[in-house]
This record gives sequence, structure tokens and C-alpha cells, in this order.
Amino acid sequence: MKLFANYMQRARDFRALDRREKGRRLREIAINYSLYALLLLAVIVIGIRSPRFLSVPSLINILSLSAAGLPIALGIAGCIILTGTDLSAGRIVGLTACVAAALLQAFGYPNKMFPRLATLPVWAVLLLVMAIGGAVGLINGFCTARFHLHPFIVTLATQLIVYGVLLMFLMLGNNNGQAISGLDERFHRFINGSILSVGQTPIPNFVWYALGITVVMWFIWNKTAFGKNMFAVGSNQEAAKVSGVNVTATVILVFTLAGVLYGVTGFIEAARISSNNAATGANYELDAIAACVIGGVSFVGGIGKIRGVILGVVLLRLIFVGLTFLSIDANLQYIIKGLIILVACAIDMRKYLVRK
Amino acid sequence: MKRKRRTISLLLAAVLALQCLMLSGCAVGRDADVHVFYYNYSDTYVTSVRAALDAHLESNGISYQNYDGNNNQTTQTEQVKTAITKGARVILVNLINTGSADAANTVVAAAKGAGIPVIFFNREVPDDVVKSYEKCAYVGTDAAEAGHLQGEMIGEYLMENFERADLNGDGKISYILFKGEEGNNEAIFRTRYAVEDANRILVEAGKPPLSFYDAANASGYLVDQSGAWSATAANQYMTTALASHNDANGNMIELVICNNDGMAEGAITALNTVGYNTGGEKRIPVFGVDATDAARNLIGGGKMAGTIKQDAQGMAQVLAALSENAVGGKGLLDGTDAYHKDEDVAKIRIPYEKYLG
Repeated sequence: MKLFANYMQRARDFRALDRREKGRRLREIAINYSLYALLLLAVIVIGIRSPRFLSVPSLINILSLSAAGLPIALGIAGCIILTGTDLSAGRIVGLTACVAAALLQAFGYPNKMFPRLATLPVWAVLLLVMAIGGAVGLINGFCTARFHLHPFIVTLATQLIVYGVLLMFLMLGNNNGQAISGLDERFHRFINGSILSVGQTPIPNFVWYALGITVVMWFIWNKTAFGKNMFAVGSNQEAAKVSGVNVTATVILVFTLAGVLYGVTGFIEAARISSNNAATGANYELDAIAACVIGGVSFVGGIGKIRGVILGVVLLRLIFVGLTFLSIDANLQYIIKGLIILVACAIDMRKYLVRK
Repeated sequence: MKRKRRTISLLLAAVLALQCLMLSGCAVGRDADVHVFYYNYSDTYVTSVRAALDAHLESNGISYQNYDGNNNQTTQTEQVKTAITKGARVILVNLINTGSADAANTVVAAAKGAGIPVIFFNREVPDDVVKSYEKCAYVGTDAAEAGHLQGEMIGEYLMENFERADLNGDGKISYILFKGEEGNNEAIFRTRYAVEDANRILVEAGKPPLSFYDAANASGYLVDQSGAWSATAANQYMTTALASHNDANGNMIELVICNNDGMAEGAITALNTVGYNTGGEKRIPVFGVDATDAARNLIGGGKMAGTIKQDAQGMAQVLAALSENAVGGKGLLDGTDAYHKDEDVAKIRIPYEKYLG
């Protein structure tokens, strides 16, 4: 209702302008929404060239690929809002994926990493990997807030440490650095199983988990004091401090929350791919950061919306799926991705400067 | 402020203490004779060579030190030079840049300067490099062989199971192929020969050749863009392909060929989501290379058709024998007559084997 009234107000404002102003305003709108327009155009073109792109199985595939990339992007978005970043995200995903897989291998699987380990409950492992991710996040946040280091440096360091721990972990038990597979059926069903199908195509369960996480994150960002503090610290740390925000606690909490989300991502990846090694998660943070900036989460700090993050994640997946459907050479994907990031950020910066 | 400083210094002290503890735990204090440079600790196959070689060297009482090049030639070259100044008696190098001879020549020059033997392994260096130094050898496989064997295995499998494999009964087998990385010889040979050799067998028996599932894709493969031969890439391509090629559309993909077993695992996970290859009768053949533990289990469970075994134990055994020769001052290739060698250059080839369970 409020939204509707808002639009009505804007429409009235627009009609009140003279012709030159109207032209300028329209041009602004055209530029600001050009990315959405391009996206729509791309979908239409791909849909015409390859009609199955818009079939139900294909749409659900895009949905599930996006869902898999969403939690990590939502975590990293918080760090970016604080004018930071998080380079350790991918390695945390790798570590938590391998830990989850190792603890949830089927009992009696011939190459079980810990052969005498009993069957653990799935939820207990989920909580454990969330705690591991959260612990690394806590270290990231603590060093950032307490020692006044830039998160780029802190996470550059923790990323290495986590990778080292991951390599050591893979040599444990009788694993000898092999990929961890042979997961327990319950774990498989929990992630890849389906409680709802559209036509013949099942929607994997992890889509619902990603959806749930998104709702929770939306609530945290928009409806809690912590969320408001996060934006305040991101846009002006000094001002936030003066107005009584506990900056240290806020920063630590943002990074810890991000770590927990990487843990969830790792948990999902472990079963979604079902083959986990030291390369799992490598460079995931780059895609997540790209998704955030495409979706308007700005490196100037204090700016970003959940729906922007979702848009960015979906857009990146659309490029991947779309180009595969068009049978376009894979090399082009890099170029297109790069161009989209540039254009999207340029548009965002423009919006920001105009507002200022 | 005072309390803060104390926290920081306590923290630093704790970190230093931890480091001392970790260093004393390792065998760093003792100068090793054999220095082994791995291209990347995250590679599953190379890690199994590492585990086997460590065990061999330990049981022979030879001291050794391992390095992770982390897929970066600069890092590795610096490690090699440091190890030589440290007093290495033999170096084993799993070279990173194999595209040109430059990196290999730098390593050989460094070893030559110190007069110690250098053994390259796993990733092949040109013949000229090996010939340029009498204390240089290479232990590896024949890169094309894995592709040939995989192609042969696929051809033979289809000759026996053609009717079953041809799901839509159009008389042709449609396939999807996952390539590990661009510009890597192993990947190029596997991608090429797996299809060529399978086709040769099919055509000789009067069957039509394999057809790529996506006629518009001229390259005939889908490549992991991160170059990591990853299960994730294969999984995402496979779910995407299955969105348009499935039973409902009557064009289900009928054969999956993968450059390695990790990718095969990723593809099988994707097939599972549409009810295929879960261990029952509903399955399409999936082929990989490496014979990892995971792949053997999948083959044992009827979820995967076959793989090519790259013999990590065999390679580690040869490397340990050569290291022992070098440390004992014997000729580098003494006592290796039983192995398959190239004719005019010191290269030992560990054979691949088909693995069908």
C-alpha cells in the first residue's frame, strides 16, 4: 500500500515538471534501469534462439544454481556494506564443505575418512560447520575492528590459514588427500531431495533453505537495530560512533554472520556436488563479490539491498546458463561478465553521485 | 589503552608460541636429502602420489622435504633454488609450466650448477631438456594413452550395450563431454582420442559415430572455465544440459565422457537429481580417468561405467627407486630395466590401465 502511494506521488511529481526536465528525468531512468532492460532483452533473445531456455526444467535449473550462490553472496554483501570485503569466503566454503562431507560419509563406505565414526545427525553437522565458519568470521571481524586493519588484508591472511588447515584436514584419517565422497543418503536427501515438483521437475530442497536464509537476512538488515547499525557504520564510521553505535561489536558481528553463511554454503555444496577436495570453494568469493556489486551493493559503503544481491546472483547464473544454451564459446563469458560488472558499477556510482 | 595493548601482546605471544610448537613438530630441523616439488597440493591424483612417495621414502630411511608450488611457476622456481642452496642431493620436480621448455631449463640449469640430479615427474618436459643434462630423467605417463584407452573402453562398452544405451532408439548415441582445462596436453588428448577411438570401433562395426548432444556446439566439449578439472563445473554444465535434454523431450543424453573422475562424480550427482545413475537399472554410462577411490566405489555400485587407472603407487615406487640411486651415488636409472622406457631419452612411462570394477 505504502509502495503504491509512493509510486503515485512520484508520478504526480513527474507530471508537474516542464518538458526539458521531463526529458532529463526520462534519460536518468533509462540509464539507471539499463541493466534490467539488457537482462530482459538477453532473456528474450536467448528464449527465441533456444526455446527450451524458458522451459520449466531450465527455469528450475537457473533457480537452483542461483540458490546455491545466494547465501555466500548475502554474507559477503554485509562486509562490502562496511566498505570492506572478504577474500576468505571461498576457502571457508571449501573447509566447511570438506568437514561436513567427512562427518556425513555413509557408514560402511569403503573409503570412509573416519571409518569408526558413527552416523551423526545431519543437523548437528550443520550446526558444527556454521560454528566453524562463524569462528573464522569472528577472527576476521575481531582483527578488523580491534587492530583497525582493512578487511582486505585480514581476510587475505585468514584465507591462507584456512586453506592450510583444509589441506591438513584432507590428509587426516585414511583419506590421503582424496576427494571426499560417498555421502550418507540422509544428507543427500536433505539437500538434493525434493518436497515439491513443478510438472515433472523436482525443486531441490536447498532452494528452500536459500529462500529461508534470504528472508532472515532481509529481516536482519531492515528490521533490527544491528542491521541499522551496520548501514550506519558503513556510511560513516565516525558519525556512527558519535551517535552511540558500538562500532567494534557491529563489525565483529557482520563478519561472524558472514562466516556462518559461508558455513551454510559449504554444507550445501558438500552434498550438491558430492565430491569435495581442496579445490572446492576456490574463488567463490569473486563470483559473490561480483554478484553484490552488480546488484548495487556499493564499495563506498552503507549502500545495498537484499533484492540487489538476489538480482546480481541471478544475473551471473543467467549469463552462464544462457551462453551454454547458445553454445557460445566459453571464453566470451569472461568478457561479458567483466563488461557487466563495469557497466553496473559505473551506473551505481552515477546514482550515488547524483544523490550526493 | 593499557589493557588493549596487553591483549595485543598476549595475542602475539600466543601466535608465536603456536608457531614454535608447529615448527618443532615437523622434521624441518633436519636437512633433507630429497626435495620434492609438487605442482599443487589440491590435485587429488598428485596428492595420492605424494602420500605413496612419502611412505616409500620413509620406509627406506631417506630424509625428504615436500613443497607446494600452488600452481605458480615463480613460486616453484624460487623453492627449487632455495632447496639447492640448502644442500639438496636430488630434486624431484612436478613442473607447473609445461607449455614451453623455459621453466624446465631454468630448473635444469640450477641443478647442473650444483651438480645434483633432477627428476621431473607427472607433468611432461620436452625431450631436449632431459637430454641436455646427463643427470636428468622424467617419470610420467604417455599423455595420449589415457585418451586412447578411454576411447577403446567406450567403444567396447557400446558394442556390447548399444541397444540399452540408445535410450530413444534413434540408432545413434548422443554424448556430452567435459574437458578439464584449456591448453593442457592431457586434457586435449583425452578429449580428442576418447571420441575418435570410440568412433573408430563403432564405425568398423557398421554403427554410426557418436553425436554431440548439442549440434550447435562445434567444439564438441564443455570446458571447466576455471581450469580446475572440477566436479562443480561438470555438475553445473550437466544440470544445465539436462534442463533441455531429458526423457520428457525424448532427447536424453546417452553417454557422459569426462577428462577425470572428479568431473564424472559431479556429472553423476546431476544425473541423480533426474533419477538416473542411482544404482538401479535406470542409468547412462559415465566414463572418467584416474580411478580415484570415489570412482571405484561408484563403479562398484553400478553408478559409473568405467575409468582409466593412473598408477600413483607405481609412479611413487619408481620415483623412490631413482631417489635412492641418486642419494646412494649410483647411476640414476640403475635397476629400472623392468619399466617401460622411451628409446633415446631417459623417460620412464608408467602404463595406464582400464578399470571396469
